[in-house]
Amino acid sequence: MSEKIIEKTRGLVKADFNFWVGLYMDKFYDSFEQKKIVANKCPQCGEVFVPPRKICGICNIKLPLDENWVQLSDTGTLVNYTRTQYKVTDRRARKSKGFTTLGMVKIDGSNSAIVYPLEVEFDDIEIGMKMKIKWVEKPKGEPSDIEGFVKV
Amino acid sequence: MDKVGIVGYNQVKLYSDANYGRYEMIFEAVRGAIDNAGLKKKDITTVISATNDYYDGRTISNCFTVEVGGGYLADESKVEMDGAHAMLYGMMRILSGNHKLAVIWGGSMPSCYPYHSTRLYETDPTWERPNGYVNDITASGFQMRAYMDKYNLQTEDIAKVAVKNRRNAAKNPLALDEAQNPDITTKDVLESEIYSDPVTELMVGQPCDGVAAVLLAPERQALKITDKPVWITGVGYNQETYYIGERELHTSNSMEASAKMAYGMANINDPVNEIDIAELHETCAHEELIFAESLGLAEKGKGPEISSEINGDLPINPSGGALGGNPPCAAGLIRVIEAVKQIRGEAGTYQVNGAKRAIASGQIGMCAQNNIVYVLEGGE
Amino acid sequence: MGRQVAIASAGFSEHASKRSDVSMPELAQEAIEDCLKKVPSVEFDDINAYVNGNMPAFEGSNLPELWMTDWMGARNKPLMRVTTGGTTGGSVAIAGYYTVTAELPGIDTVLAVAFEQQSQGDTSVGLASVAYGEISILNNLGIPYDQLNRLLSAGAAIGVAAYQATTYMNKCRITEEDLARVVVQNRRNAAKTWWAHLKMPNLTIEDVLDTPYVQYPLRYGMVCPASDGCCAMLFTTEEKAKDMCDIPVYVNGVASVANETAVLGYDGGGSAQVDPSVQLGAMKSAELAYGQAGISFPRKEIDYAEVYAPFPNQELMWVEKLGLFEETTAPEMYETGVTARDGELPVNCSGGVNSTNAIGASAMERPATAALQIMGKASNQVPKTVHTAIGSGWGGSLNFITLLAMSDEPRRRFT
Repeated sequence: MSEKIIEKTRGLVKADFNFWVGLYMDKFYDSFEQKKIVANKCPQCGEVFVPPRKICGICNIKLPLDENWVQLSDTGTLVNYTRTQYKVTDRRARKSKGFTTLGMVKIDGSNSAIVYPLEVEFDDIEIGMKMKIKWVEKPKGEPSDIEGFVKV
Repeated sequence: MDKVGIVGYNQVKLYSDANYGRYEMIFEAVRGAIDNAGLKKKDITTVISATNDYYDGRTISNCFTVEVGGGYLADESKVEMDGAHAMLYGMMRILSGNHKLAVIWGGSMPSCYPYHSTRLYETDPTWERPNGYVNDITASGFQMRAYMDKYNLQTEDIAKVAVKNRRNAAKNPLALDEAQNPDITTKDVLESEIYSDPVTELMVGQPCDGVAAVLLAPERQALKITDKPVWITGVGYNQETYYIGERELHTSNSMEASAKMAYGMANINDPVNEIDIAELHETCAHEELIFAESLGLAEKGKGPEISSEINGDLPINPSGGALGGNPPCAAGLIRVIEAVKQIRGEAGTYQVNGAKRAIASGQIGMCAQNNIVYVLEGGE
Repeated sequence: MGRQVAIASAGFSEHASKRSDVSMPELAQEAIEDCLKKVPSVEFDDINAYVNGNMPAFEGSNLPELWMTDWMGARNKPLMRVTTGGTTGGSVAIAGYYTVTAELPGIDTVLAVAFEQQSQGDTSVGLASVAYGEISILNNLGIPYDQLNRLLSAGAAIGVAAYQATTYMNKCRITEEDLARVVVQNRRNAAKTWWAHLKMPNLTIEDVLDTPYVQYPLRYGMVCPASDGCCAMLFTTEEKAKDMCDIPVYVNGVASVANETAVLGYDGGGSAQVDPSVQLGAMKSAELAYGQAGISFPRKEIDYAEVYAPFPNQELMWVEKLGLFEETTAPEMYETGVTARDGELPVNCSGGVNSTNAIGASAMERPATAALQIMGKASNQVPKTVHTAIGSGWGGSLNFITLLAMSDEPRRRFT
């Protein structure tokens, strides 16, 4: 390759997106406002899904909108964890000074594990720990209503 | 299955920040492949590219690449996955009987876009994405921990793979300069900064600029074009379910299913003894072990025991793998190219002696949600 | 090499400007449900592989097929993603065909899904960013924005279409009334198509001409909408199709020949094509597809056509380019009712892209509707028996095209 002069330019394309959550997630987030977790259950295989959904991926059947809802407790079991300094947003990834500890917690009554920050000292973490959801003060019906998990 | 032959290839050198533009890079890869094979533009009947709109920062990322990719007045399409998947589509087009020469190319330039952000856009926008906790960085951390925890392995076991691949990359002139580490030790890898615990920075393949191209032809034409065709005797591809909290991260179900499909086609019953080398697209060192086990190259949890050095019993990633440089959309295709080089005896200082049957894999999605694997044979 | 491929079914979701009642995976699932409803003997276990595509810029989601795996019934199945901009739907359909004809062991039945939920994003930003990367660098090099204007509106948008309209109008001396007539036919057809978006059973030419210009010669009343919607097609082998449905539709010819773009191109237009109404790529595609399908005289042998035309001038241009009518005679064909529902060669009885445009899906909806017309199961079914039909798509910087030639008889020639 010869000595080339290349021209570089930085550009920012601003594009706003709004995602329709659908009627199942709608119910899910409505219950967040009450600081509760609801899930739906497949009548055929019995899997309970968090977040709830229209189709059971195992049986390939439709889960009717008004049936098979189960209320789950706030508690769960830790199945995996990690920590990182990276914070990734829609615009970039940057390395912050401190670590964020994240855990994958299987909500009791379901086989789905959800990922949220753990408010536990990293060295105290053990897989299999019992955890409980810490909700924000005033939930608005969105994913950030769950602040993280604390030890039970 | 009729025979489809790989009759040519070319790959540009990988750079963190290539000092030239996207179109020149694509042209270099594709034109080089055509020239190396002694063919002309007019011989091309179909072109399949692998690019990603978000990686290229452009809608219809293949729109302006028609000319440089050899697609002018050729039957052209685009697969938005790994380059290895684009080769699958090209292979289907050859098997249809409609085409006599397929050009497959893929690649992108992460020096021009925020790679991790574009990976974040893959996540469920109604649930995980607003928080950003599930991204390709944390996903790799979860995957490594799940694997080590399940089989009681140590970080040293994983670090050894990183050491092997980075030392192999030092023998590969096309690998990323930063990844060519001939004297690296396990200690170096373990003491590098934390990426996402327990993954450290040196265990991760760095996204870098690169484009690769491969040429496919049906049997009759392949034998006319080259005296060293490499035959695709098996292919398998498979996609798992999406939410990482509902998957088994200590193994790769999609790789296992892909292997079953590919081995079935290629009549392989005893992969450990029937396969000479493997080039696997691993975004992090631990993935190589997970994939090797899912491919039947070792029992579950015994991946670290495979003698996978270049002069070992079953060399894996003699080229350095994606740890030697991970150009998104090209990495899987480069694994195919490296496997082809081994079979044709063109792998230079990292040549494995007597390689006749190889497997090459590509992947896409968090923790390799969708895998593709090829069985390649040749070198009679 | 290769084997016959048949379409056993096609399905749609409801299309609207805002499908706010569903998430993207649920939208895709709707079309799949509609597709499989028509072939009750097919279970999800019978589907061996998937092909999925959309135009990802419109939803701000990268690789959405990963997220929607379960909703498609694709868990632990082979899946390939194909996206080519405006022609995505057609490319996905063609990929579905190739997946079956490749005869990979174990892959006989393939479900192809193409969708778009445009209301989630900003359509004009999505379209402009086809060329945004190129424009900013050229602007850096000193080329002013107004010279790059057409490049900015590339990708199935008004700017390029308007230029294509004027070059075509210049050659063929059509009037705005001719354009409005095409729109009226499409929107009235859409009114009888259950899944279409702009249903206007009483639209008149005066109504269309009474709207202001967007960009000469195209008026607001002539422009396609932006829709949310999805389309799904089931491809399989000849033997299996006969068990699934009464009239399998054979895919006899496919082509997607690309024409040049060029970053700057002629007059900053983002195309090296001097006259975008020539469409060399389309002419070559027609030659290839018709050749494979054994069609020697398109006008006589093709009974029905779904031609991708978001803007009416394109419909007139394409029916000629694809060999259905003699050059410069298209307007007359519309005026005399040849292309009407009960005409000799009906065109776009679904209302076409002019009435429903979910960009990722629309190029698949063309062969899907054409196939349903052959099966006798289309929403706005034409009275004559359809034996042979074509479905086309175009996109990119007016340089991409997809074409499928289908028939109720396997006519594909194998070399």
